Formats: sequence, C-alpha cells, structure tokens
Amino acid sequence: MNEALSERKQRFEERVLPHLDAAFNLARWLTRNDHDAEDVVQEAVLRAYRFFDGLRGEARPWLLAIVRNSCLSWLQVNRPVELAGFDDRAAEPIEENSPETLALRQCDRRMLNEALAALSAQFREALILRELEDLSYKDIARITDVPLGTVMSRLARGRRLLAESLQAISNASQVHR
Amino acid sequence: MTREEAGRLLHAYVDGELDAAKSLELEAHLAGNPAARAACERLREMSAAIRSRADYHAAPASLAARLRASVPAAPEGAPRRVAWRGWLKPAAAFAAAALLAWGTAILSLRPGEDERIVQEALASHVRATLGNRLFDVASSDQHTVKPWLSARLAFSPPVADFSTHGFELLGGRQDYVGGQSVAVLVYRRRQHVIDVFIRPAREKKPQQTLTRDGFNIESFARGGMGFWLVSDLNRHELDDFARLLAAAP
Repeated sequence: MNEALSERKQRFEERVLPHLDAAFNLARWLTRNDHDAEDVVQEAVLRAYRFFDGLRGEARPWLLAIVRNSCLSWLQVNRPVELAGFDDRAAEPIEENSPETLALRQCDRRMLNEALAALSAQFREALILRELEDLSYKDIARITDVPLGTVMSRLARGRRLLAESLQAISNASQVHR
Repeated sequence: MTREEAGRLLHAYVDGELDAAKSLELEAHLAGNPAARAACERLREMSAAIRSRADYHAAPASLAARLRASVPAAPEGAPRRVAWRGWLKPAAAFAAAALLAWGTAILSLRPGEDERIVQEALASHVRATLGNRLFDVASSDQHTVKPWLSARLAFSPPVADFSTHGFELLGGRQDYVGGQSVAVLVYRRRQHVIDVFIRPAREKKPQQTLTRDGFNIESFARGGMGFWLVSDLNRHELDDFARLLAAAP
C-alpha cells in the first residue's frame, strides 16, 4: 500500500470534499438537471484530484473553477445552444435602471427559481456565485475567467433581466387570476 | 459624483465591493438624491430575495459516498504521478526528444490525410505522457469509459477491457486529431502506455504498421471506425493488441 497516496487522498477529502454542496449547487444551476449535475460534478472532482497538487489558497473557488469548466464543456457538447453569446467577455456599460419593486415583492419561490433558470448561463452563473455562494467579485472573476469589470456588468445586467422576467411572470399570473 | 458614475457603482456598493473612499462619495450622492436611494433599496431587495427564496441545491449524500469510493487511494487501477515518477522520467525525456524530431520533420513534408492523423495522434500521445495527463476519465471499467466518451463525441466508440490478455484499461480522454474530435482509450501493458485513437472512418483499411521516432503505430478500420494505436511497446506485442481489438465483438 502506498502511504503517500492514501495520505494525499485523505488531504483531498479534508480540503475539497467539504465544498461538494457548493460544487453541486453551481453544476445544478448551470445544467438545470439533477442527473446531469451529478455526472458533471463527479467528473470535475476526479479532475480536481488530479490537479490537487496545484491547489494554492482557498479550496472553494479553486474547486468551483474546475466544476464551472466541466459544466461548460458538458454544455458545449450536449446543449451548445445554451452557450450562445457566452464568449462575449467584454464589459458592457452598466445600466442605471434598477429593478422594479412590485414584482419582486409579489414573487414566490417558484417564480424566482423559474426566472433565474431562464437567464442565459453567463448571467445565471454570476448571480449564483454572488448571491448563493456569497463570493467576492475577485473570486467570481477567477472562477468565470473574465475581468472584474465583466463580473460587474454581468451582475448588473443579470439583475435587470431577472427583474424583467419576474415582472413578466407576475403580469401573466395577474391575467390568469 | 455624476449620476452616470453613481449608477455604475451602485451594484458594487450594494455588494460591499466598493472601497471606503468611493463608498463615502456614493453615500453623499445618495443622501441628496431620492431616486438613486430608491434604486439602491430595490437592488438590496433583489439580492435578499435571491438569497432567501432561490433554491440551494445541496449535493445528494449518494454523490459524496460515490466520490469517496472513486477517488483512488492506491496506485493500482488508477496510476498517479507519485506512482509513475520512477519510470516516467526516462520516458518523458525520450518523448521530448521525439517531439523535437517530429517538430522538425513536419516542416519537410506535406502530409496527406493518413499521414496527418498519424502525426497528430503521435503528438497527442507524446503530449499526454509528457504532461502526465493521460486520461480525462480514469477507470478500468468499460461501462464507465464508454458513456463518458459517448456523451462528448458525435459517435460511440467501442470500449473493451483486455486485462485478461495483459492489456489493462486505464481510462479514456477526448482529443482533436485530423480536424475532428476523437476518442482515446488508454491501456497499459507492463510499464508501457498504449493510446488507442478511434474515430469514424468510411472505407475499410488493411492493418498497417509504422515506426516513428521510436514509437510504434498500428492502424486499421473495422465496423465503420478507424483505429490508431500509438505506443513505445514493442512491435510484436502492439501487433497482438491490434488483432485483439480488431477481433473484439
């Protein structure tokens, strides 16, 4: 039995596996499907184990970067349509208009989840990393491999699109009432 | 602070990402500007709504268990850098020399399609052994490797384990050879790594044997698939392996 290897595995389990929930949450929001998320995370974690010696600093953003890349490769092969416009890395001007309050106050859990899932992948991942993982702009920039300015503009644009989509869902449900 | 600048900085402010000086400047702007203050409030509400109402998908317990089981602890079955260091060094030095030789050779000839595939497959093999990135999916189980590859390729490559014949399946990877995505199955015979490149092929092709830069290359086509075997394994044994692959169900 090779002791160096089992020790390496133990260190990996202690440092990386505590972030499995974060890994799954990101993969689940990007693939929008439990089964696919499990496959992608499994592959990403095995990949992470191979690159484990290169881990410096915090394990969570490091693991999330690997998971995110695995998700993108998976989407590229299985659902390329969902990545349309994804390579657009340029920071856009941040719009001043902020979301409307009304729809936000009325939206329930289901409406919010639907609206988030309907965002294009680059806005969805920025919002998930920021709001659900509470990561800094710097970490998000590193994970999504874009400049800080792009993180800012994607969050701003994502929030506005989310508000618009909530407004639309809320209007539609008013009509049906 | 102008209205434009305030609007631009508002998200960073709400996210706690503005430095102290800019925050003070923005707060001064907000104090004298009710519309901006309302916008700021709406952003905070949106952030709070996502945090409190969006689903957080925790990993299923079965996934954690599966991962603990599949991360290899012992060198057997899934060799890692530590285990391979001993013999990889001479192999890597040799591969580096081969890559150099290959790099100069490519300038002097205009390869046809077959030649191009052979060269690119050889380069992929050298890159993988040099970079210690032999496979993307590590598994001796053909039922793991095949779906992994099928999910990433436009075709489904035949995958079989021949460990009873002394050719152990280590895993698979995806690569790009001859202008298209190919499946690469990674086998081991004693200390020799064998890469088997597979991609759809139209015509039938008799078995061919080549030697390039000290590597042996076997190629053949069957069942609509073209196979290229690349290894530093001796010609005789590689030939045996090619025949096993060709005869596999």
